Amino acid sequence: MNDTPKVPGDTPEAAPARKDAIAWLEERLNLTELFSFITHFGIIYTPIDTQRPLREQWKKIVETPMVAYARWPHILGLLTALLFGLEAFTGVLLAFYHQPTIAGAYDSTRSIVRDVPLGWLVHQVHAWGSSLLVLVVLMRLLRLFWDGLYRAPREVLWLSAVALAWIVLQLDFTGLLLPWDVKSYWSAVRGLEVVWAIPFVGPFLSFLVGGRTMSEDVMGRFYVLHIIVLPALYLAFVYVTFATMRRVGLSRVTDRGVAQAQAMTTFRRHIADLLIITLVLFAALVTLATLLPFPFHGAADPYTTPKGTRPPWYMLAPYALFQVPWIPDWVFGFGLLVVAACVPFLPAFLRVMGERIDEPRLKRIGLGVLGLWLVLSVIGIFVDRR
Amino acid sequence: MSARMWEGGSVRMARLARLTLLVCAVSCATWAVSQAQEDDATKPHGNAFVTKSSGRCGVCHPSERVAFEKSRHAGEDMRCTTCHGGNEQSVDQTSAHANGFKGRISRADIPASCASCHSDQKMMRPYDLPVDQMALYQTSGHGLKLKAGDTKVAVCSDCHGAHDVLAASDPACRTYVTNIPRTCGNCHGDSLLMAPRHQKDSYHDYLKSVHAKELFDKGDLRAPTCVSCHGVHGATPTQVGDVNKVCGRCHTAERRYFLAGPHADGMAKKGMSECASCHQDHAIQAGATERLASGCVSCHAKGSKEAALGAQLLADYKTADLAVSRAEEQISKADGVPLQTDDYHSRVEEARTYLREAMTAAHAVKPDVMAAFTARARSVGTEVETEIKHKLLNLLVEKVALLVFWFYVVMTIGIIRRWRDRGPKA
Repeated sequence: MNDTPKVPGDTPEAAPARKDAIAWLEERLNLTELFSFITHFGIIYTPIDTQRPLREQWKKIVETPMVAYARWPHILGLLTALLFGLEAFTGVLLAFYHQPTIAGAYDSTRSIVRDVPLGWLVHQVHAWGSSLLVLVVLMRLLRLFWDGLYRAPREVLWLSAVALAWIVLQLDFTGLLLPWDVKSYWSAVRGLEVVWAIPFVGPFLSFLVGGRTMSEDVMGRFYVLHIIVLPALYLAFVYVTFATMRRVGLSRVTDRGVAQAQAMTTFRRHIADLLIITLVLFAALVTLATLLPFPFHGAADPYTTPKGTRPPWYMLAPYALFQVPWIPDWVFGFGLLVVAACVPFLPAFLRVMGERIDEPRLKRIGLGVLGLWLVLSVIGIFVDRR
Repeated sequence: MSARMWEGGSVRMARLARLTLLVCAVSCATWAVSQAQEDDATKPHGNAFVTKSSGRCGVCHPSERVAFEKSRHAGEDMRCTTCHGGNEQSVDQTSAHANGFKGRISRADIPASCASCHSDQKMMRPYDLPVDQMALYQTSGHGLKLKAGDTKVAVCSDCHGAHDVLAASDPACRTYVTNIPRTCGNCHGDSLLMAPRHQKDSYHDYLKSVHAKELFDKGDLRAPTCVSCHGVHGATPTQVGDVNKVCGRCHTAERRYFLAGPHADGMAKKGMSECASCHQDHAIQAGATERLASGCVSCHAKGSKEAALGAQLLADYKTADLAVSRAEEQISKADGVPLQTDDYHSRVEEARTYLREAMTAAHAVKPDVMAAFTARARSVGTEVETEIKHKLLNLLVEKVALLVFWFYVVMTIGIIRRWRDRGPKA
């Protein structure tokens, strides 16, 4: 903000040719196009005219009226992006020290947590951030379902929300293996069993992640999936989400249904809210990491399965299904596959069903499924066939 | 025309057929000859019953031949006739069993028969084998009884086999380390055989011992067997007064402390077996900590000052052991954080070594001797425990820092809010 234009008396209407750094850059670089790119992503909402003085431009930017989405319930969408940013930042710091090999994973993780200054904090913030991210994307999915935001024109929003939830679960699953401690190892082993049990695509997926059983291949592929492939996909769907918002606008749920949200704030207030939320989120993660750190387990021993090994909490429900001794795994595997295939296509499904299924009834079904999921998860905590 | 052609054709065909037959016959013959040559190369000449080592004896004594052919002796210029005499070239019994034929060697003559070679330095030198077995055997319990006319004692063939003698390094050999207890146990585990001689079943006792556990369960070939204590060819029972020397060959520190303590003289006066009085003779048990106190009252009166001394030793040990255990508990707590505990792990290992040494020093039955170790173990344990507790307490600093952190967070939020409210409200 310091490099105010030196040309005296310039006005928005008749701006003479500038002679500052911006002008110098503009001659060598298509700044306008770059700035329009930023505007497109919704980082700011006003087109930037490089011919205008910065102070004036800034004033225009911050005073643009806009809808406030940095508050409930829209904040869930914002959090999926913010938390991902924090995870990416801490993840990069962790990757500086982590060695993604069977021989080095546990020792390097221990040295991050034990020997690297504040390494424990970064590690714990990353771990807590992932748990919160899973929670947030699942809550967002529920919220979108509850408010009927899978209806036209928001089908793509629903699709990308499902994709984000799915990718976050995969990120969590792949990231859990990387410390190679006794818990992560056996969670991943159980996870691989679930992957293998899925009919038709299971063997192919198993092949993609390096096999049915744990090996150096699995480790390497989980690492690449965790730090490159899945984050890239996640970013793509975050973009799809924001692009949808730019086109169809924020929703405003009223008594009469979903309506277009109205401009309620300025960009200045919005960006301040955004900063405050980021700060509170970071502070909350630091607090959780300090007061409720995840315990550090011993190194993985492939020859002894510790008692009470369970997959991560969000996989407990399908895990419970697979514990029923008299039903072959492929039955539930097939069921899960059908459900997984149906959820993203909920809008299409509703179109086919037409008037036969109204919203209250759909909500009741949704609540029933959620209840069943919770009950199965609780069962999954206690039941262990193997 | 056609007939001539046919005629000429038939002559040519017949020639061709003859030629083909000839080629076939020659190649078959060549193949057969080459096969025969291969057979000749791989098989010994002539009759399989007649071998280099057993001559023609094996024709009538096939089972002995088979056993002997597998033995260590077979490849070493030994023949049936070396021990049994006779003529190995003959298959006629009369002429074969002539020529200095000795027949079955009586049990009393077996040691001398074996010694005719094994006591010969010139013959044994190439094999680097000792030649004192016969001399040792004659001093052994077995040898003395044999000399006295008792032939129901072990002679060479009882332990080494008669025709099927194997090298001791062969795991199938009767005298291979892990087979020794069973070889001795063939007689010493047979109560029918031992009862008339007023000897107990020491073989089955041995199987219950800590030594047998080491040998069979852990596969430690250095674990002692019968011969480690009783001797090999000169096997004799260990006498009272020698027991501490025999056990002390391996348990050197225990022996040193034992001899320094009051038990050595007292037991010698009473004619009590030194180590075996507490640890048993064949079913030897490792020293259990509780026995520091409970073992005393098996000889000393309950409530006596000796029993009180034992109780004190046990109390000393337990205090030290508790301190070390608590240090270990703190270490596992610190590992769960995790803190750097490599140094603590090695220090606790050191403390555990002191505790083991304390159990050894307990053989002196003197509180001050044992306390030298228990006190060290206890102090290391307490030190480690205190240091880790201190470090764990330091972790609270992080929690206090959290308050400072939140203070700055709230301050920053306040600043941002002020900046936010500077502009118009939409």
